[in-house]
Amino acid sequence: MAAVLVADDDIDIRNLVSYKLTHAGHDVIAAENGLAALKSVREHHVDLVLLDVRMPGMSGLDVCRELRADAATRALPVILLTARSQEADVETGFAAGADDYIVKPFSPRELISRVEAVLARLAR
Amino acid sequence: MSSLGLLDVAAGVLAVAGAVLLAVLVGLRVRRQVRQVRAERAAEPHRARLLALLCAEDDERAGILDTLAELDDHSWTALEPVAQVFLGKVTGQASSSLVELFERRGLAERAMSDLGREGRIRRARAAETLGQLRHQAAVGALLPLLRDADPDLRVVAARALGRMGDASAVPALLGALHGRFAVPPSVVVLALTALGPDSQPLVAEGLDASQPLVRAVAVEVLGAVGATAWAPRIALALTTDPHPEVQIRAARALGSLGAPQALEPLLDALGPDRPESLRAVAAGSLGRLGDPGVAGRLGELLGDPVPRVAATAARSMARLGQGGEWELRRVLGGIHGDRAARQAGAALAQAAISKGRARPAGDPTVET
Repeated sequence: MAAVLVADDDIDIRNLVSYKLTHAGHDVIAAENGLAALKSVREHHVDLVLLDVRMPGMSGLDVCRELRADAATRALPVILLTARSQEADVETGFAAGADDYIVKPFSPRELISRVEAVLARLAR
Repeated sequence: MSSLGLLDVAAGVLAVAGAVLLAVLVGLRVRRQVRQVRAERAAEPHRARLLALLCAEDDERAGILDTLAELDDHSWTALEPVAQVFLGKVTGQASSSLVELFERRGLAERAMSDLGREGRIRRARAAETLGQLRHQAAVGALLPLLRDADPDLRVVAARALGRMGDASAVPALLGALHGRFAVPPSVVVLALTALGPDSQPLVAEGLDASQPLVRAVAVEVLGAVGATAWAPRIALALTTDPHPEVQIRAARALGSLGAPQALEPLLDALGPDRPESLRAVAAGSLGRLGDPGVAGRLGELLGDPVPRVAATAARSMARLGQGGEWELRRVLGGIHGDRAARQAGAALAQAAISKGRARPAGDPTVET
């Protein structure tokens, strides 16, 4: 079981991802924007972060860079959620330090597989 | 009555009319909000079940689907818009489950019926729904909408046809690019790109169309979907098509496809007598092909009087790996003049930043 932070400004996506992760046995912390995500990471124990790339204000890429710049969160695994039309963001995402990415629309099953693969890599 | 009195009466009438109008607007807004709150309340108990359906394992799926399919009409009316939102947000089994749920609730039948009714919004919603449901039986009913007088309806119909993945829609989509009631090329490109590999031979037939826009769209789509089998035909379009826009899109498509037969036509497209935009796109595509053997020819372009051509060639050289970097350093040394050297320096600096490596102190190779 891991603590996963889900940051997405789309409430439907937040609810869906939270439901899937919770039913897979993980603890979920939800954030509706980049600033709230950073605040949550600093206030709670988090094992993995799922970040929507395009959020108003602070984007997922900005959050990822902030996490990588802080010694306390540098090693925290990050998975980006990006729309199909924004796949150019993927290259930027990896440059910003993301560990993996998931393209929207996505399959909830694929999402949980990706999350668990990243957590398994972390555990090794 | 004096004119002053008449003015007072008119002002009073206007004030009363304004107050009534304001009250009506506020009333309508409140009524809408109340309805929305009621709908959300009615949907709330079933939202978790909907999420459960989207996330269900194989052994749970049928039971949840049955429960949602048998909801009373009041609850379903409230839940349906919530479920429809998810149609565009999930794929895989989650999407299949939603489609099955909607089919069982008769949404596709209602949408088919709405397609033939009055009202552009009703018809557009119906077309959108049928596309989201990938309701194959609707293809024939959607094709005529590509020629509808309403431009929004034409766009929705094109998008819906793309989602359905039925290759038989290709000729109508290509045909919708021209005429009095046309569909924007960007919409047609997206629709054709979504159709899948079975559509490629029909899209390729567009390469022989008399209208340059149809040829250009066909080239763009074949490049976007990675139709490598058509690379020789696209290379021919780059070399022989009389229209510059077709040539430009062919050059871009060949870069995406990465086919070896693209090399010679792309090198030819760099000639100084060719259109500037074509030369710039060809230079970019040569970088994507990744053959370091073209580094010398690209290096010559770094001193080109057209800045866009020179800068694109420099970026392409940086993408070619060690061979490209080696040639950039030669150009930086001045073999093609000062202007070319500045472009080379900028490209080397950008490459160093991208690689995340610090510039060694005193390294002259990235001075610009």
